[in-house]
Amino acid sequence: MARSAAMAAPAESMYSDQAIRLFALAAVLWGVVGMLVGVIIAAQLTWPELNFGIPYISYGRLRPLHTNAVIFAFGGCTLFATSYHVVQRTCQTRLFAPKLALFTFIGWQVVILAAAISLPMGYTQGKEYAELEWPIDLLIAVVWVSYAIVFFGTVGTRKIRHIYVANWFFGAFILAVAVLHIVNSAAIPAGLWKSYSAYSGVQDAMIQWWYGHNAVGFFLTAGFLGIMYYYIPKQAERPVYSYRLSIVHFWALIFTYMWAGPHHLHYTALPDWAQSIGMIFSLVLLAPSWGGMINGIMTLSGAWHKLRDDPILKFLIVSLSFYGMSTFEGPMMSIKTVNALSHYTDWTIGHVHSGALGWVGMISMGALYHLIPRMYGKTAMHSTKAIETHFWLATLGIVLYIAAMWIAGVMQGLMWRAVNPDGTLVYTFVESVKATFPYYVVRLLGGVLYFSGMLIMAWNVVMTVRTGQAVPAPIPHVAAAHA
Amino acid sequence: MQVCADPVTPAVNPALDSPLTGLTVLDDPVEQGRFTQWVVGAAGERLAESALQLSGLHCAACAGLIEQALMGVGGVRSAVVNSAAQRAAVRWDPTQTRASALIEAVRRAGYDAVPDAAAPARALRHAEHRQALWRVFVASFCAMQIMMMATPSYLAGPGELAPDLRQLLNWGSWLLSLPVMLFCAGPMLASAWRCLRARRIGMDVPVSLALLITFVASTGATFSPDGVFGHEVYFDSLSMFVSFLLGARYVELRARHGAAQALEQAMARLPEVALRLLDDGELETVSVHRLQPGDRVRVPVGQAFAADGVVLLGATQADESLLTGESAPVTKTVGSELVAGSVNVGAPVDMTVLRVGHDTRFEAIVSMMRSAMAQRPAAARVADRWAAPFLWAVLLLAAGAGAVWSVIDPARAVWVAVSVLIVTCPCALSLAAPATLVAAARGLARRGVMLQNLDAIEQLARADHFFFDKTGTLTENQLQLREIVLTDAGHQRLAGDAEAVARAASLARYSLHPMAAALVAAAGISESPSPSLSDVRELPGLGLEGTDQLGTTWQLGSAAWLRVDHDDGNAAQVWLARDGQALASFALDERLRDGAQRAVQDLQAQGLQVSLLSGDTVGRATALGERLGLHGPGAVIAGAKPQDKLAAVVRAQAAGRRVAMVGDGINDAPVLARADISLAMGLGALVSRSQADAVVTSNRLSDIVRARATAQRALRIVRQNMLWAAAYNAVCVPLAVLGYLPPWAAGLGMAASSMLVVMNALRASNVVVEPGDATPGPMVSARGT
Amino acid sequence: MESLYLLIPLSVGLVLLILGVFGWALYGGQFDDLEREGERILQADSVRLDNGQGQQQPPPEESPEQVNVRD
Repeated sequence: MARSAAMAAPAESMYSDQAIRLFALAAVLWGVVGMLVGVIIAAQLTWPELNFGIPYISYGRLRPLHTNAVIFAFGGCTLFATSYHVVQRTCQTRLFAPKLALFTFIGWQVVILAAAISLPMGYTQGKEYAELEWPIDLLIAVVWVSYAIVFFGTVGTRKIRHIYVANWFFGAFILAVAVLHIVNSAAIPAGLWKSYSAYSGVQDAMIQWWYGHNAVGFFLTAGFLGIMYYYIPKQAERPVYSYRLSIVHFWALIFTYMWAGPHHLHYTALPDWAQSIGMIFSLVLLAPSWGGMINGIMTLSGAWHKLRDDPILKFLIVSLSFYGMSTFEGPMMSIKTVNALSHYTDWTIGHVHSGALGWVGMISMGALYHLIPRMYGKTAMHSTKAIETHFWLATLGIVLYIAAMWIAGVMQGLMWRAVNPDGTLVYTFVESVKATFPYYVVRLLGGVLYFSGMLIMAWNVVMTVRTGQAVPAPIPHVAAAHA
Repeated sequence: MQVCADPVTPAVNPALDSPLTGLTVLDDPVEQGRFTQWVVGAAGERLAESALQLSGLHCAACAGLIEQALMGVGGVRSAVVNSAAQRAAVRWDPTQTRASALIEAVRRAGYDAVPDAAAPARALRHAEHRQALWRVFVASFCAMQIMMMATPSYLAGPGELAPDLRQLLNWGSWLLSLPVMLFCAGPMLASAWRCLRARRIGMDVPVSLALLITFVASTGATFSPDGVFGHEVYFDSLSMFVSFLLGARYVELRARHGAAQALEQAMARLPEVALRLLDDGELETVSVHRLQPGDRVRVPVGQAFAADGVVLLGATQADESLLTGESAPVTKTVGSELVAGSVNVGAPVDMTVLRVGHDTRFEAIVSMMRSAMAQRPAAARVADRWAAPFLWAVLLLAAGAGAVWSVIDPARAVWVAVSVLIVTCPCALSLAAPATLVAAARGLARRGVMLQNLDAIEQLARADHFFFDKTGTLTENQLQLREIVLTDAGHQRLAGDAEAVARAASLARYSLHPMAAALVAAAGISESPSPSLSDVRELPGLGLEGTDQLGTTWQLGSAAWLRVDHDDGNAAQVWLARDGQALASFALDERLRDGAQRAVQDLQAQGLQVSLLSGDTVGRATALGERLGLHGPGAVIAGAKPQDKLAAVVRAQAAGRRVAMVGDGINDAPVLARADISLAMGLGALVSRSQADAVVTSNRLSDIVRARATAQRALRIVRQNMLWAAAYNAVCVPLAVLGYLPPWAAGLGMAASSMLVVMNALRASNVVVEPGDATPGPMVSARGT
Repeated sequence: MESLYLLIPLSVGLVLLILGVFGWALYGGQFDDLEREGERILQADSVRLDNGQGQQQPPPEESPEQVNVRD
């Protein structure tokens, strides 16, 4: 009875998954693109000849293209897809304004394409992770407001009274990013592709890194924690280890995140006391972060054997280990004495990439591997072995990458501060660059491995979609009790 | 359809399935009012909202299954199950369904439900908890943010922080302190105001004074930094202090609520019913509360007499051991008096109600527990007496310190005074005792000992002479087969003891008499094939007889009836006869409760004196005493009537001992009241329990020993807390007066001290368990008695 | 540090907003019966929901009662 009824039932009783499918496939596409650009710029750092003197593909212009592509295109599309999926399934209601959701997809792709064009052309505001010029910033704001309407509208029309914890993380991520973006990107236009920041000098730096760090905190952490809290229990078929702890985790994170920004500005023109605050509260952040990590990993408590056979679970659980590592490393690096060594070195890059490749990348891959088959009428991807291969390539790639960057970073820091008894520097800057060369090669290799894993994923996704069928999913009938 | 991970069929009490025992009583408005409220539905119709206590839930899917089952009942508008609390809130239309239908639906789904008469109390606790959590959250969240804004002032060297920037940060801190002062600290300020208006000093007075002074002075410093209040602000100390204080109170509230919840959970059961005879001869099932003098009630075999009355029709035997201590059933014929609470063990009879007892067992115990929690125990009352002078001293000291410092260094005067006000911790003193005793009460409740008042803990800890009643306290209510003796004829005719028991049991099956039950239990009737009998008759007071397939008449009964010469000895005896010839005798004994021997030994090993008080014969009582290891003069007092038992207790008290009395039946009531501490065993029906200081609902004597150890531990913890509070004040108050404690340190110290006291108090809820103890089982829910 | 003139009032506003949201959640019963909510996402309804898309759907029967079977 159910199946034929599903075919004949009106659209309102079906989930709206079109936007999810589009975003999920786009995520894979931009993942490939973004990581390819990453490999290119890593190669350029290793062999600068690869700039070829062509401005459009010069390192300076490609780097922000890489960061924007992996964070906002790959990460962003993953967040859109998963949040639209999770909010519907946990609220047991259809997406609010599905057409608006479709608009967010189109709008977001326009943003990405505009970035892909404008950044190599050299149009930039010069603010990290906020390089895009003002027209694109406006479009981002419009898309983001639409996203908020769709997401919160769906929560508002939910059939289950309780709001699942993942939705809290998504909601906080959406609101925080809105505030951060609007405040930081405030600019005075001086031409179609040129503007001046509303702030200047060290003030601008403070606001920029208030934005920058909270973008990491809410875009790359809170949003993906939302993903973690849904897809790990679903893939492991076990509930979150302590649901109560997940709620506490959420509120604890909200408590402390806003003030960690200044740790990006140690030993700069920022007043000492402001730097110290950044340090203290970055350390405070350690506790709630690790609480969340433990909660996620312990979900497998009593079922560790599942890790052996399920490579998707491997992605999801290992991502949490990298999350733990990064949220430990970060506070350590925010301590002034440590920062004195690490600032401006490749250690910072290593830290970023352990978080990006390890935490963000792997949780996204795991979630997409869970989500995509189900969006096409299947329970598994076309090839589980390919997932396994992807996992090992990715892990090996990450390890090579961050090991190379740690060694390079510490080495650079030590070389730069080495002074002769008479106070002169022991090493010239270029000597440190030369010494870094082999580590850049290893890093490039790590990146290539990671990228090739992504190519395998793309192939796997294509094969899955080709043999799948996008069938509408009915919303389960919820007894009035829960209304 | 949701699937339960491992379905287990819970044991539903079969006695409750019968229409006699009362689901229909739930539809009686009098009963229903205890667990149902009336609300107005969406279309203006009158809807009922009932609260049910559920059992049998063992996984998360169970809640959903129960909701589905309830929603499947026509007329049910909504059903919400809280799986953590194991209760259901059901909204239903009284024109379409009945309350009993709800419980039937739950049972069909494989679970069980009883009315949740404690729902209003629970709702109150829920609301109280939410408010407390909200206050704690607001205070600590604001405190955190204020701390972030205050940190620059601490970190910046002189001249590094521009004055207008400092002003901005202070302004932000001030703004966030407003919710803390107005909302979070509101209750404290209000209570202090009420105290002052009543011209008393309460605990909240110095705290409120400190908060107000701090806030006003910091506000002044924020908005006019060059003014009289100086430029130091202490919003961070203020908010941190409030949040810690509220945190400590929150922890204490949780402990208190946990105790109440443990008690209520044990008490949930179906209401009691009686079968009332109507004029036309029909029977109706009614709540016992509905009975009136003059009503005629039919009492089936195995049910308790619901009220005092006389036998109207029929003849039977009543088990009055609960009342008289006598284990032998008493014959009742037309006109014989029946006592409420005694059990009908012979045959069904009709009775006329003379007096209605107020056996509101459920309400009596729950209300007595609630009042116990609300009372302030003696230890706390002592602390209260000292509180007023102490607090006056604190205020004077603060004022004095402020006055002195205004001469030495005027800028610091206010802050020193504030520190003195904050650091003194009268809360530790007034929390030390109640928090501990409440925690101990909760631990004891979880282990099956319900306290009527918190003073009982102290009395129990100090008791050094334990008097135990015999029947129903040291012994089980049931009899036990001790010995089988075959006559010469029996040796010839029977294949041995086993056949004797099997034959006896085949007759005994047809009777509910305690002796018969013991024989059935001994035969393990379900395993061995029983010889089948026909024409079985039970003759009250005499015995049973029946005919087997070969035409032989078998009889099982008293020696007198079977005309056997015997020596009664020390045990009750039942004889088996075949065609009039006695074949075997069965000696039945009272069974000692499991753990009775161990409990007595444990008490004696601790140097306590243990005595057995019994209304039974000297022979039987002494024999039991021997089994328990009670020797020596005064160890066994037999043949004791109520006044003899009372005299024994008085004698012991006169000799300077603290007496604990553990009993059961109604005639223990005066003794229970006289003893320094009294405990009543849980399975007896009745009123005497309202006289007892504690009820042992688990029916395990070892729990009494554990309870004593727990009580002693609780007293030790109270002493520790008091000592700590005294030491803390003795050290910190001088430090504050001398100016060594800035307000933030004073606040931290005071809050930490309160927290420490509460945490230490919580340890009292861990019941003392020794190696080799049985793990604490669930409390016996004596449904249907 | 003039940027703080923007950031401090902004964060005060955010704090009040966050407090409001927590209060709404608390009194709206979001924190009641937590462990069960953690398990809800695993319950059979939703799993079969996603999996069931694999089967080929038969052509719809022309029975009018089967339309709008879900209310």
